[in-house]
Amino acid sequence: MPIQIIAPAPFVTADDEADDEGGVRLDFDNDGDIAMDGDAPRRAAGRQSGGIVTPGEVVTEDPQWMRGHGTYLSQPLAPGGSQSIVSSLAGTISKTNKLLSIRALKFRYVPEIGDLVVGRILEVQTKRWRVDIAAPHSATLLLSSINLPGGILRKRTSTDELQIRTFFSEGDLLVAEVQTLSNDGLASLHTRSLKYGKLRNGVFMTIDAGMVRRMKSHVLTMNTSNGGGEVDIYLGVNGYIYIAKHTTPLTESGGPEGKSVSITRLEEEASEAIYSNVNEEISPETRAEIARIACVIGALAKNGVKVDDEMVHLGYEAALEEFLQGMEWGGDGEAGKRVVEAALAKRMEG
Amino acid sequence: MEGLRNDGRRWNELRRIHCQLSTSSTNADGSSYIEQGFTKVLCNVTGPAEPSSRQKVKQDAATVTCEVYFAAFSGTDRIKRGRNDKKVQELQTAIQKTFASVILTHLFSRSEITISIHILSQDGGTLAACINATTLALIDAGIPLKDYVCACTSGQSTSIFDNEGSTPDPWLDVNYLEESDIPSLTVATVGETEKIVALSMENKVRIEMLEGMIAVGISGCAKVKGIMDAEVRRYGKTRLEAATGE
Amino acid sequence: MPKEPEISLAEKTFVLEALKQNLRVDGRNIHSFRDIQFSFGDDYGFVDVRLGKTRVLARISAEIIRPRPDRPFEGTFTISTEMGPMASPSFEVGRPTDLDNTLSRLLEKSIRRSTALDLESLCIVTAQRVWSLRADLHFLSHDGNLIDTACIATITALAHFRLPVVTVSGEDITIHPVTERVPVPLSLLHWPICVTFSFFGEDDDGEMVCVLDATAQEEALREGDMTVTVNKNGEVCQISKSGGVAVEAETLMKCARKAAEKVKGIDKLIASALRGDEIARNKGNLDWLKEGRSENER
Repeated sequence: MPIQIIAPAPFVTADDEADDEGGVRLDFDNDGDIAMDGDAPRRAAGRQSGGIVTPGEVVTEDPQWMRGHGTYLSQPLAPGGSQSIVSSLAGTISKTNKLLSIRALKFRYVPEIGDLVVGRILEVQTKRWRVDIAAPHSATLLLSSINLPGGILRKRTSTDELQIRTFFSEGDLLVAEVQTLSNDGLASLHTRSLKYGKLRNGVFMTIDAGMVRRMKSHVLTMNTSNGGGEVDIYLGVNGYIYIAKHTTPLTESGGPEGKSVSITRLEEEASEAIYSNVNEEISPETRAEIARIACVIGALAKNGVKVDDEMVHLGYEAALEEFLQGMEWGGDGEAGKRVVEAALAKRMEG
Repeated sequence: MEGLRNDGRRWNELRRIHCQLSTSSTNADGSSYIEQGFTKVLCNVTGPAEPSSRQKVKQDAATVTCEVYFAAFSGTDRIKRGRNDKKVQELQTAIQKTFASVILTHLFSRSEITISIHILSQDGGTLAACINATTLALIDAGIPLKDYVCACTSGQSTSIFDNEGSTPDPWLDVNYLEESDIPSLTVATVGETEKIVALSMENKVRIEMLEGMIAVGISGCAKVKGIMDAEVRRYGKTRLEAATGE
Repeated sequence: MPKEPEISLAEKTFVLEALKQNLRVDGRNIHSFRDIQFSFGDDYGFVDVRLGKTRVLARISAEIIRPRPDRPFEGTFTISTEMGPMASPSFEVGRPTDLDNTLSRLLEKSIRRSTALDLESLCIVTAQRVWSLRADLHFLSHDGNLIDTACIATITALAHFRLPVVTVSGEDITIHPVTERVPVPLSLLHWPICVTFSFFGEDDDGEMVCVLDATAQEEALREGDMTVTVNKNGEVCQISKSGGVAVEAETLMKCARKAAEKVKGIDKLIASALRGDEIARNKGNLDWLKEGRSENER
């Protein structure tokens, strides 16, 4: 029954004359989502321009599409009719060959095998730890998946179990890689490499998981100015980030020439030091630079720019210029926005 | 004053609605704020995450938990409501049950989605505003939903009776004064389907008037959905533009 | 705390398919209630209602207290429900489940908020002494539809209850025992009765299957439910549908009208049960009735 409802007195007029690109907004991502040109963009009923779909909106009724993440099949409107693909998220459509999925604007991190993540120990259980990685379930780290002092080929003994807290205790931060996933999404981590392990000498921060671009290497080493020395940045794909003073990797600490080590040397080098809880000496200049980088990453994430090594470098340079010009530096708010814009401008040029 | 209510609206006019997504900068995965007239509600959503207690683990679906907090200054009198207050529990159960059927919970087994609502000001239509705020916060958090859940109130003024004996028009979107005066109901629909997912009426009303009240409420919900959808699209556009650097 | 056992897929499919063809497992019509049986105790206000295998006991008790300061001429009425393992092994004493909360909320809204009981009639001395009534519900057996049964039990108990006569002389209040003065019934303005509908998805014609008075098995399989409280005058006292499957407005209206129809029948049942009890109580002592009348014999 058509009842005429009077709209409320206008407060904010929604701008809806977005440029009509003719339908679907294609995703050009490093992930390699290829957009198929040549598919006539299907304008399904109810879909407005601008490229955003919202929950409950019919994306397409064409049966040639397979449905991916973020969609579900609705009941056919008429008996014998085809089911239509309906969006269940607010986001943009991404088409990969015949697969139609929705990329949400914001989403919780979902672990994939091979991801580098930064996590915090929640709980110590017998022979393993429970780690918080900002995913729907906490991940597990088995005792057999970490490097034990005395060599990686050492057998795990019961003494190790009893001394489990000497390795990782509650609240410790670590960087690890996702080894396996169970079928309901529980991740299992491992730190079987010298570049993974407990984190120290630095600062921890969180950003939105979607803001970290998936790259080849998530560990950056930056040379900072103002006497800060070298700084390591661990960009966890789950949105957890750790910025620390650069520590010389253990492989180089031994040999006088700093050459790479043989397998036998490795055993000796993976010493007790990797699980130490004591920070090294960090100079005030380094601390200042660490703080600056943290603010830059926070500003990038807050303003919706994806964080990767290029943006972090550009952002850092822009932040240095701001500082050198003597302006207020806060990280969020106006100063942060300016830094981000300067960095984006630089990227456009370069 | 022919045909105007105590705040100057007509019988089929909604109050001013203002809504925002992603209002919280803290750990909430999704957040929203909505104002319907003077009723102001803030909502935070976290999840899917590890369940807070063993009991809440469901093997094949996510558990939906809801917590409602009334600010002591939200009503006309200052009342502090504890967790065991009847009104608080009523709202919690209503919202939890409504959204448990709309969120696609089978996608996240053994996890928990927590909805946390803060009511800052009550001026009628509290349940409706809470439902609308929750929908927006869930969309912001990227939790898959079947569709929008939009709620609206409607009331039946029995004071004016036509000489022919026909019932007067029901009033859409009642405020606090109207709520305490006339019988009213809250109805929540799913998207544009006009199917009702939640209906709550706590006053006595003649059954003949019921149909009219529900119909007006449903039309109001459709209008509310349009407003909320426009805001979600606007917000999405600004985010996308920022991400690609204009 | 044992959980309710999960229903097997085969059972589920059987029951749902049958419902799609308007057949129920126990042979009833989808719109018919199970047989309602009343049994009254010796005291007034004590009734045991059976709806099939579901059994609820209601007991009304009264005491005299000081009224609330903001309502000096009203008595008080509270409903207390407690579910224990007697009803079902999955209920635990002291740990209210969702069902518990829902039940007490619905009874509150149906009976208290709709002012079925006239609280002003419970006043003895304004601002000093009022009657405080308390309804205690005990759930003895759970086979579905506790809400409707509890409501029927409470209303019947209230209609059955007799308040002792009180005389006030100055400062003194005398409560007359039953043997001295005949106690008076409560002043009930209307009898609100809850009717719960269970939704099971669409049948072959595309219409939503709405079932009345679901058994425990049907309740475990339902996709949604709605409780409508109506009285025999056609006034809807409350509606509550929280979540569950989304239903067309037309269907909900049909359910509400059906509920109104059913309530008329249940109302008659309660009235005749009360009358039957009254006669049984005074069997062989019909002189009492004669003494109560003020007409002269002609």
